[in-house]
Amino acid sequence: MAGGAQIAAPAPPAPSAMGWLAATDHKRTAAKVAVAATFFFLLSGVLALVMRAELAQPGLQFVSDHTYDELFTMHGSGMIYLFLTPVALALGLYLVPLQVGAAQVAAPRLALFGFWIYLCGGLSMYSGFLTDNGAGSDTWGATLPLASSGNTPGVGMDLWVIGVGLAVLGSLLIAVTILLTIIRLRAPGMTMLRMPVFCWTMLATTFMVVASFPVMVVAMALLLAERHIGGIFDGATGSVAYQQLFWFFGHPVVYVMFFPFVGAVGEVVSTFSRKRFFGYRALVVSLLLFTALSMAVWGHHLFILGAVPNQYYSLTSQLLAVPAGIEYLDLIATMIGGAIVFRTPMLFAVGFILQFLIGGLTGIIVASPPLDYHVNGSYFIVAHFHYTLLAGSLFGLLAGFHYWFPKMTGAMLRERLGKLSFWVLVLGANLTFFPMFFLGFEGMPRRVADYAPRFGNLNLLSSIGAGFIALGILMVLANVFVSLRRREPAGDDPWGAQTLEWSTSSPPPHNNFGAALPAITSYAPLLDRREAEEPEREPRGAEASA
Amino acid sequence: MKAGTHQEFEGLFSLYMAIGIGVAVLVFAAVGFALVHYRARGDRRPSRVSEMNRIEIGVATLILLIVAFLVTRTFTVEARVDSAPKEPTTIDVTAFQWGWRFVYPGQGVEVIGNSNDEPTFAVPGDEPVHFKLTSADVLHSFWIPGERFKRAAIPGRTNEFDLDFESEGTEDGLCTEFCGLRHSDMRFNVWVLSKASYRRWLAAHR
Amino acid sequence: MSRGAKGGGGPPLAWACLLLTLGAMLAIWSEGDPSSLLFLVGAIPLLALSAWNRASPAPGGPRLLARTSVPVVVVALGAALAAVGLTGGLWLVLIGSEIALFGVVWLAREVALERRGAGR
Repeated sequence: MAGGAQIAAPAPPAPSAMGWLAATDHKRTAAKVAVAATFFFLLSGVLALVMRAELAQPGLQFVSDHTYDELFTMHGSGMIYLFLTPVALALGLYLVPLQVGAAQVAAPRLALFGFWIYLCGGLSMYSGFLTDNGAGSDTWGATLPLASSGNTPGVGMDLWVIGVGLAVLGSLLIAVTILLTIIRLRAPGMTMLRMPVFCWTMLATTFMVVASFPVMVVAMALLLAERHIGGIFDGATGSVAYQQLFWFFGHPVVYVMFFPFVGAVGEVVSTFSRKRFFGYRALVVSLLLFTALSMAVWGHHLFILGAVPNQYYSLTSQLLAVPAGIEYLDLIATMIGGAIVFRTPMLFAVGFILQFLIGGLTGIIVASPPLDYHVNGSYFIVAHFHYTLLAGSLFGLLAGFHYWFPKMTGAMLRERLGKLSFWVLVLGANLTFFPMFFLGFEGMPRRVADYAPRFGNLNLLSSIGAGFIALGILMVLANVFVSLRRREPAGDDPWGAQTLEWSTSSPPPHNNFGAALPAITSYAPLLDRREAEEPEREPRGAEASA
Repeated sequence: MKAGTHQEFEGLFSLYMAIGIGVAVLVFAAVGFALVHYRARGDRRPSRVSEMNRIEIGVATLILLIVAFLVTRTFTVEARVDSAPKEPTTIDVTAFQWGWRFVYPGQGVEVIGNSNDEPTFAVPGDEPVHFKLTSADVLHSFWIPGERFKRAAIPGRTNEFDLDFESEGTEDGLCTEFCGLRHSDMRFNVWVLSKASYRRWLAAHR
Repeated sequence: MSRGAKGGGGPPLAWACLLLTLGAMLAIWSEGDPSSLLFLVGAIPLLALSAWNRASPAPGGPRLLARTSVPVVVVALGAALAAVGLTGGLWLVLIGSEIALFGVVWLAREVALERRGAGR
């Protein structure tokens, strides 16, 4: 039934309020997480625009020093704890049960609980803006002694600490349900090595979540206790110990914000190259290695402290290039020999592949302590992680979003608007962040509201770029709005895709699959079926004439 | 013999950049080639090949060799950069919210300044200078971009390192560990002087 | 066909072993720094998951699932309120905890009724 029955899809009847707030269906929970995450994304994005407005020219024009500290703290922590991490898990929460042929996620009440905890966490964090001393203002991870109640007084910072703890806990619980679904609820015939690529990246992601998020929840509890009781993180050892706890989580979390999207990109590249994903087994091995290594590199954030074994962390960090290289090889080899179709999801996928690379390679550079001694704490690092997180992960998210939107809503997104928004975002991302490599290298530190006049021109370029990012995002939102108002029905499988979710209706029914599942013969069951029906092209060595 | 601090950095950085740019060009070219050459065309049928273990192992091995090479170069340079034998010239640096204090033990010289009055301290340009760095309150970081080097200032702990300033002149210095309200103003200057000028400076500041 | 369900324990086991290896390497390299113990936070639950999955494989077949669960939301809001109350309002902690407790009891009842309704 691939690409088959075109169902005229009027908008499905809207459920009641209780139906939305307390629904246990994983698709509804995932949608709630995604909506909340988008809200926090826009909020945190506006903070960035204010920052870029301030930084466009040397001198302090719009905000005070303390306000700027709140801005960059809430921008960073909002994006990480409240947007990119939850939305990555929401993508998995929605798709994993469908891709493994399950009727529902494991422990759906736990996922619902996790959503509400996360949402309350986000509201707690942002409510700091309403307090006297303002919102959290000590960077996205806080440091001690700076984050003590003496150095950073005020209930706003406490609300931040509690909010982060709740948001991370909520995400952890959602990840646990995804993990259990993969381990326990795969349909008969779906062995682990027949799971789609996206499911494998989600599995690896949940491993990292389970192994690191609890440490962060504990760290936030201890930080709160430090602020109110004290005596926990005393002296130099205390300050370093806090950073060890934080970064043990702080590094894997950036991979949690990466792997689901590389999985989405893998699905998109396969579908739009009309080929199954290349090197599946190599990918499985490299995912396990990559994510395990990711748990062992956190000390590279601490190179300049002189308090950790730099060599161990430099070795593990640079070794990441090996599994990363395999994943890139697999993506490119999937395209080679294919029949590539350039729809919007494929554009964003290619954008992810090329732009993330820049972030990844600069990551290898800073994995070398002597090089990190120069660029740590500068705009070079800001450029590095925005290339991985925005030019990389956000583009991967948009690839997955444009790809799965028809499945989730039953409506197609506008193709021309989608492609245009892609190009605007490419311009915006690169114009904003590429100059920052030079700014940092030349001596501009991060987390400053003002800077030496010689950095003015590049900062202005960067701020203009930020305007283009905002424009691109608005275009994506406009696309969603228009596409939902004047619906173009999508049908079950508008793309001619390969995995199980495309065999059910768009959107899927409550229990995911109305009819019997197709036979699960590999990680691309729908492609298997199509290939069995079509003759293969000329086998190698066949002669030109019959 | 240890090269200047700046030089150590430049050598290693050029190596990493060369390999990084090489990899980037290769990947961009491969993707570009794939997108152009394998574009959907008429009756093109995609290949059904989806596994070539020899290529996987080959690529993984190649990357591993490159990484091994880079890691050994890193370890070598780092050992040199991090070595901090005691030198004739020693400076005790204390970072605080929001300024710097430079003490020359045994010389009777102290320079102190904050965001309202940036401190400037002098160093001799033709020999390594030994630094002992700490903080009086929260975490700070001591960065001299011209030397391509920074180190964290941790309260309750002393970090020791050597810097070998090569050319005479003025260098900027600043804090790069977010430390609160006036973090962006926490700057200092370094005068790199000839030995004779340095001695005169010391005498003048006693 | 339920071979699929049993095979799930392999990857968590493999990954946990990778963690233990990396942790041991750090313990040696750092000369016994306690930070290497952090690797156990992931290794232990994943080893347990793998063992549990092997000992008691998923039964498969249809599951009993409620469409909505209001008590879950109540517990979450109560717990969050109690957590926020830690900023210094003991009364808020108490109110939040009471709400959460109320929600837990309600949830237990909801689940019990569900099971009874399904004839377990």
